[in-house]
Amino acid sequence: MERLPWLRRGFAPVLCVLLVLLAQVADSYTQYIVNLALIYVVIGVGLNFLLGYAGQFAFAHAALMGIGAYTTALLTSRLYWSFWLCLPLSGVVAAALGALGALPAMRMKRVYLALVTLAFAQLVVWVLVNWNVVTLGTDGVDVPAPMLFGWRVKGDTSVFYVVLPCTALMYWLAKRILESRIGRAFVTIRENEIVARCNGINVARTKTVVFALSAFYAGIGGSLYALTLGFIVPDAFGLSQLVLHFSIVVLGGLLSLSGAAIGAVVLTALPELLRDLQALQEIIYGLVLMVVILVMPQGIAGLLKRWGVLPREVLARNWRALARETP
Amino acid sequence: MNLVTLLVAGLANGSLYALVALGLVLIYKTHDLVNFAHGEILMAGGFIGFTAYQTMHLPYPVAFLLAIALGGLLGAVIELVAFRRVADQHHITLAMVTVGLSVFMKGIARVPFGTDIYTFPPAFSADRITLGSAVIAPQHLLTIGIAALLTLLLFLFFRYTTLGKQMRATQQNITGARLVGINTGRVFSSTWSLAAALGAGAGVLAAPLSLLYPDMGTNFLLKGFAAAVLGGFESVPGAIIGGFLVGIIEMLFGGYVSTAFQQVSAFFIIIVILFIRPNGLFGRRAVARV
Repeated sequence: MERLPWLRRGFAPVLCVLLVLLAQVADSYTQYIVNLALIYVVIGVGLNFLLGYAGQFAFAHAALMGIGAYTTALLTSRLYWSFWLCLPLSGVVAAALGALGALPAMRMKRVYLALVTLAFAQLVVWVLVNWNVVTLGTDGVDVPAPMLFGWRVKGDTSVFYVVLPCTALMYWLAKRILESRIGRAFVTIRENEIVARCNGINVARTKTVVFALSAFYAGIGGSLYALTLGFIVPDAFGLSQLVLHFSIVVLGGLLSLSGAAIGAVVLTALPELLRDLQALQEIIYGLVLMVVILVMPQGIAGLLKRWGVLPREVLARNWRALARETP
Repeated sequence: MNLVTLLVAGLANGSLYALVALGLVLIYKTHDLVNFAHGEILMAGGFIGFTAYQTMHLPYPVAFLLAIALGGLLGAVIELVAFRRVADQHHITLAMVTVGLSVFMKGIARVPFGTDIYTFPPAFSADRITLGSAVIAPQHLLTIGIAALLTLLLFLFFRYTTLGKQMRATQQNITGARLVGINTGRVFSSTWSLAAALGAGAGVLAAPLSLLYPDMGTNFLLKGFAAAVLGGFESVPGAIIGGFLVGIIEMLFGGYVSTAFQQVSAFFIIIVILFIRPNGLFGRRAVARV
């Protein structure tokens, strides 16, 4: 059933080369959109671990992205730490806080977990707004351009050469993790925790790992976001950011790495095309979201898999049957 | 601030949260779905009421009933168009359809009403009532009264009418309900219209207390969601008590601790409560079958 195998083989390197070529000719604005899309690939992949693969209905992703962005922004602008140290550190800080999300996830299911994580997210934004002394509140923080071997990373094209390798690395890492034992453990937990336990999976540890991993991606994404924008405010990490993250994962396809990437590109480009008309932008965004989900409930990636353009992912088999059984 | 003043204001806000929570719980119980567009249904109700009362100069009760009726119709249409065909999909997928709907409705509302903020005058221009040292706004009392009335009607509806009993049966066991000949499709659309009517009614009541603008629904959705979860998400009395609790907690924090903390205080309390009782105050422990 697998058609177009040539398209698939070496697809990712070809895409990277194409993006590099595009960077040679693109104007600053286009480049900025490309950078954003790449960052949202990282964010989307991170959320898909939690939402798609492990089936945890958690709402803190935007706040964790904010924590990553603020870690980078504050440490580089106020303590003059190197960006290259802050980038991984942002991921680690977000992961540490994100792992806390595993605590309620041990005891609560679905809506309760959703609310606790949502409440946590609201509290984070509230702290960012009100802890003026440290975060500068609603005034926002400027992010200084980092130095790399005496070369100043300034301007959208330079930023692109930082973001692209990071995204590629994170994507490759995600692929490796999902193919490993721990990736299968995520899916088993989503399907049935008792079955997972019977198969020798440490549910508590696996949940902690998936929450931390997902938050790590959010933190790295947030750090790159701070670099790309150069200026961040707390409101950027509120509910609309969260809606965007969820849309990316669901529109692209839950349970699909390439789906998160497709969703990120579509949903970054779409609002930019209509940026001058807020009402129209919302109407089209909402319609696209509804229609795509109603017509292809497994997202764009699900459709492409059915057509044989994308490879089937072993972990995603029997999705419909699974959807009915998951409590 | 005076304690009684705060409590009355808290109860008024809380009864709005309770109405929103009731709508969320009703849909959750029949459809197993969190309706993230409920805040926008509330917003739609507010604007329908505003148009009828301010622009068309209809009397307040007529405007209120019109908002409820059109809200109910809206709910039925949403169910029929968007959810009938995909009801057996994964709950995250269904939730995303409601998120799309929420963004869509905000966009629609911005076409005639723009980005302006509208004020909705209170139902009657009576003076503030002073009771000892407490000051009570009549609009607060009206809100509490109407919310209580709607809740009572809802209770009677579920208890004594055939449709209400059919709805409860469908909530308990959908296959069983179908087996005994209940038209579950009709139950789905009635549930949606009932929930949406409650939301639209809450919108008309909420508009004078908050302000009227296309994004007004988000705050009410969050608080209503909090109230519903606090009450256990499957319990109708739980949703109402949860709503009152959220409203009162908020007001007390705002009055005695810090106004900056008011917006998030309810969430803070809820995190604590859910760690102690993971299924909400009135929720039953979920039993998982292998």
